[in-house]
Amino acid sequence: MNRSVLLLGTLLTLAGRARAGESPRPVDFEREVRPLLVRSCVPCHGAAKQKGGLRLDDRAEAFKGGNAGAVLKPGDAAHSRLFRAVAGLNAEMKMPPEGRTPLTAAEVALLRAWIDQGAKWPKGSAAAVARTPATTHWAFLPVRRPPPPAVADARRVINEIDRFILRRLEAEGIAPSPEADRATLIRRLSLDLLGLPPSPAEVTEFVEDRRPDAYEHLVERLLASPHYGERWGRHWLDAARYADSDGYEKDSGRPHAWRYRHWVIDALNRDLPFDRFAVEQLAGDLLPGATTEQKVATGFHRNTLTNREGGVDQEQFRVEQVIDRTNTTARVFFGVTLGCAQCHDHKYDPFSQRDYYAMFAFFDGDKEIDIPAPLPGEPTPPPPPVADAKDKGKKPAPQGTLAQTLAQGPGRKTRVLIRGDFLRPGAEVRPALPAVFSPLSPSGREVVGEGTKPTRLDLANWVVDPKNPLTARVTVNWVWQKFFGRGLVATPEDFGAQGEAPSHPELLDWLAGEFVRQGWSLKGLHRRIVTSATYRQSSKVRADLAARDALNVLLARQSRLRLEAEVLRDEALAASGLLSHKVGGPSVRPPQPAGISELTYAGSAKWVESKGPDRTRRGLYTWFQRTSPYPMLLTFDAPDSNVCQVRRERSNTPLQALTLLNDPVFVECAQSLGRRLVAEVPARSASEGVSHERIRHGFRLCVGREPIAEESDRLARLFEDLHALCKAKPEAAAKLLGGSKPAGADVPEAAAWVAVARALLNLDEFVTRE
Amino acid sequence: MHPVLESSSRSRRDFLTSAASGAGLLALASLLRDDGLLAAETGERNPLAPKAPPFAPKAKACICFYLEGAPSQVDLWDPKPKLNELHGQKLPESMTKSVRFAFIQKETARLMGSPRTFKKHGQCGVELSDFLPHLATCADDIAWVRSMHTEAFNHHPGQLLMTTGVSQFGRPSMGSWLTYGLGSASRNLPGYVVLTAGRGPSGGTTTWHNGFLPSTYAGVLFRSHGDAVLHLGNPPGLGDDMQRKTVEALGDLNRRRHDDIRDPEIESRIAAYELAFRMQSAAPELIDLSGETKQTLEMYGVGRDDPKDKGGRGGGKGVYNQFATNCLLARRLVERGTRFVNLYHASWDHHSDLDRELAFNCGMADRPVAALLKDLKQRGLLDSTLVLWMSEFGRTPLGENRGGSTNVTGRDHHPFAFTLWMAGGGVRAGTVLGKTDEIGWGVVEDPVHVNDLHATILRLFGFDHLKLTYRFQGLNYRLTNLGGKAVDKLLA
Repeated sequence: MNRSVLLLGTLLTLAGRARAGESPRPVDFEREVRPLLVRSCVPCHGAAKQKGGLRLDDRAEAFKGGNAGAVLKPGDAAHSRLFRAVAGLNAEMKMPPEGRTPLTAAEVALLRAWIDQGAKWPKGSAAAVARTPATTHWAFLPVRRPPPPAVADARRVINEIDRFILRRLEAEGIAPSPEADRATLIRRLSLDLLGLPPSPAEVTEFVEDRRPDAYEHLVERLLASPHYGERWGRHWLDAARYADSDGYEKDSGRPHAWRYRHWVIDALNRDLPFDRFAVEQLAGDLLPGATTEQKVATGFHRNTLTNREGGVDQEQFRVEQVIDRTNTTARVFFGVTLGCAQCHDHKYDPFSQRDYYAMFAFFDGDKEIDIPAPLPGEPTPPPPPVADAKDKGKKPAPQGTLAQTLAQGPGRKTRVLIRGDFLRPGAEVRPALPAVFSPLSPSGREVVGEGTKPTRLDLANWVVDPKNPLTARVTVNWVWQKFFGRGLVATPEDFGAQGEAPSHPELLDWLAGEFVRQGWSLKGLHRRIVTSATYRQSSKVRADLAARDALNVLLARQSRLRLEAEVLRDEALAASGLLSHKVGGPSVRPPQPAGISELTYAGSAKWVESKGPDRTRRGLYTWFQRTSPYPMLLTFDAPDSNVCQVRRERSNTPLQALTLLNDPVFVECAQSLGRRLVAEVPARSASEGVSHERIRHGFRLCVGREPIAEESDRLARLFEDLHALCKAKPEAAAKLLGGSKPAGADVPEAAAWVAVARALLNLDEFVTRE
Repeated sequence: MHPVLESSSRSRRDFLTSAASGAGLLALASLLRDDGLLAAETGERNPLAPKAPPFAPKAKACICFYLEGAPSQVDLWDPKPKLNELHGQKLPESMTKSVRFAFIQKETARLMGSPRTFKKHGQCGVELSDFLPHLATCADDIAWVRSMHTEAFNHHPGQLLMTTGVSQFGRPSMGSWLTYGLGSASRNLPGYVVLTAGRGPSGGTTTWHNGFLPSTYAGVLFRSHGDAVLHLGNPPGLGDDMQRKTVEALGDLNRRRHDDIRDPEIESRIAAYELAFRMQSAAPELIDLSGETKQTLEMYGVGRDDPKDKGGRGGGKGVYNQFATNCLLARRLVERGTRFVNLYHASWDHHSDLDRELAFNCGMADRPVAALLKDLKQRGLLDSTLVLWMSEFGRTPLGENRGGSTNVTGRDHHPFAFTLWMAGGGVRAGTVLGKTDEIGWGVVEDPVHVNDLHATILRLFGFDHLKLTYRFQGLNYRLTNLGGKAVDKLLA
């Protein structure tokens, strides 16, 4: 016989005696019950902590109950969860939990008697303290406005950023690195801002530009390029978990998903201020007089997975989508791991489970609709035909370019899901910000006043409210890490107590403050960062820093970063002259090895290769099938796009080597580049010179600089070796060359140049932003 | 010494000497430690360098059969005479009230007995279905777990739970965790290899994904046609001699750059290119079965034709031969030091026509899987190689009456009780763990959750499942998520 059964016996005896015997003594709440609650319950269910959403130090809260509902049923202890828990009558829930002192049988009996007598709790007997978890964690405190510090060596300062960085370096006794040479700078800038390499002509022009503000001119030219939106759009699409298919088993295609990507590219190109960028994506549909483009922006939250597997519980996967929207919003804008509070109160950060479902509630009532969204120049679709009686209920399919959008659906009562289980709904919650933000929101815990139910638009407005301590910090940090390979907060996805503390907290706040003051302009932020002396430093690894700052946290140099998957593709296509420069539009299917799309459900996702220039478009336009992603992308650490990602790995693997050496796409680039070298550097009488000339041209096309003699000689030797092998096997050489022979070289020679071009496309420097 | 290797070791010497003279010995030591150089036998900056687990391991390699779709336990592994007796009866409502089914209509559902006959096998006396005559001869090498249970009852979430420990996306798979924890013993082949037969698994690449671990630990899919590894073959017209010249030149050029820039990533890149080059000859050698005896090929059933009565779902032309070949490749991979081999076959999702489909699939799997166990044993590899047979859940004792259909020939998804088995690698052979009730509805003895299974597997490899963690987004994640307890009764 176990303990609770024994206890139950005792209780029944006690109760029976009470019922049968003399009239029960009335229980005094203040003298008898409250001390008991304070001692045994309030440590976990009080002002500081509300485990399970329950609070027992406050009359109103106590009667409201916890996440799972009411705990007190006045007059009926047997059906009061509070009594059942302390009496051990519920197998799954014994209170106080193991390890804490259990109540004595007499105390349990006292509680029972108190409840059976009506659970009398005099009003006003406990001060109603606002439920505000106190926090001193830096990220939840307001953004400060630190003045840029003074530094000893002002010659190394171009803008305020440098003061913050230099101040720390001077304190550590470390000298910053010299500015990188101009060829490195233009390649760095082009790759960072456009994701494309500079052409040799652009490099020459910049290297020879004698204007004192040549660098600033270059920055402006690049920021104005339409390819800027592609580069930074791709960064954003990682966070937006963009893909062209549903995910899960069926993984059906989403032929209209690209319309959202198109919006992102365009919005970034016109430098839509980040606050509006955020609001339109979260709640563009709810803006007064919402335009089509503002509705298209809500495609952000249409990138969640959809499970169309046979036999699924639709409600389960609807809930999963709302969870994903909640978690993504929290991670992208607040940089917090709110998702941890899905099943229980957050273990480290001040988010209760009830906070979680209050955020969840903002998205709970949404519905998904696809709307006509013609691009400029496309005809406006005709209004849908009026359905006649015959096909009533059958919705006519919209025509033309569509967009996936989010819209307000029927109202829905949101409940806490006990342990995150959609089959166990608990207490009802209203949409609200996490309580930790409540003193900061204009009207208390709820975003708008009593009566009206807060909407996604209220949430969106709070996301970009200048009083919000997180969004600006998180965003400037996200931008910073793209330029330096590491955020000022090295965990861009977690600004909470478990994340890393900022390396330069004042700089982070200064950047965040400036960002907001200067109208949330992303281009302005980029400009500030890339014109700094800090950004322009050489990335050479320094022996004196190896022991002191191997991870380059202090930024006494720039970082060398392996290029992202898409940029590598773009760079190879650009260097070889194959790249299509078209901006925007639907996704494309470049050549993909056989057997990849067969991995999908019953091989349902057919890969019909695109034709013409669509074969060689930039990597961000490649159709992303969630269950069989384009292999090259994953090999180079592109996200799987199932959940929001704000940071990419940069691995270094043999499969990457095989891809760059042998993937038919890169081989095609090598063939094109090889021909280009032959065609653009015609043979002259002295054939000795032409090899070096072609190598020089190839080097400039691929890494943007002149080779040094040693490099040039080594590549010339490679050419000689390969040429000899090609001459020995002319038929193989013809295959390697592919297509027709270029003027100015015979087949073995041209083929050898293809092989040399292939080596250039595999140099460490080629795959690295220096 | 191969010229590529020679130049690599020369450069490594130069690199270390120069780093030492530049930064002092202390700096060198910390550099070495940070880069894992001291741990690597090969001296390369290699995240896959072999690592010793905290406890003495029983298993050193794993071959994991994943039968995607959920094979029916009551027709294969868990005989239920009572179910046959009750065939055609309704279940009491109290049993189905709170249960969700994918397709079954509760109101008219009836219990469905199994047409299979079961017999005892081996010393352990385990009862097995007549669909598995070959595997039955290995009975005493296997530990059956008849008391598996899971929460997920849809395929993809269930597959994610079984392969990554949670039913959501984004976590590393079991093979990724093990290669992360142990590295790979192979210098020339990937540490984590995936082989598939027939049509693709419904979860696609997500079940062998690296999640938040670096992509180094992702499963590498070996392909059944074309190159064994994606892009393994040189471009048309480019011979091995040209490839060698190219990789040598790249090494020289990158080393020269390294002399100037000193970024250790360059050294890593050189090592990666050299491993890629070695893989180009090692992988074709791996899949070249000409060195195997006729007897071996016969035992596995390599070269078999598909049966005339084709299964409707598990097919694809040549799937019998493909599955047999994959089993043999798994042994060859383990012999060559690969840590984790995942063999996938879809589909076992028999909502209808179960008996015929199961006959087809068992006909495919029974002989080669048994051959693999025997082959590993005779080569002394079974002791250190854990072989797993698993799926995402089981199938209902109820017949499936989708849409009220009266022609009931299949079973629906059943997460409450199902069977899987383990062999080798320190598993207590000849064990039948756990019990289900008389009709196989629920577990009544020794329940084993998916997280418990994972904890047990990690234990066999020398890990405490609570301590093999990876820090991500401020938390230490593990394969067993929030649960898991190693099952002692399964350990030898």
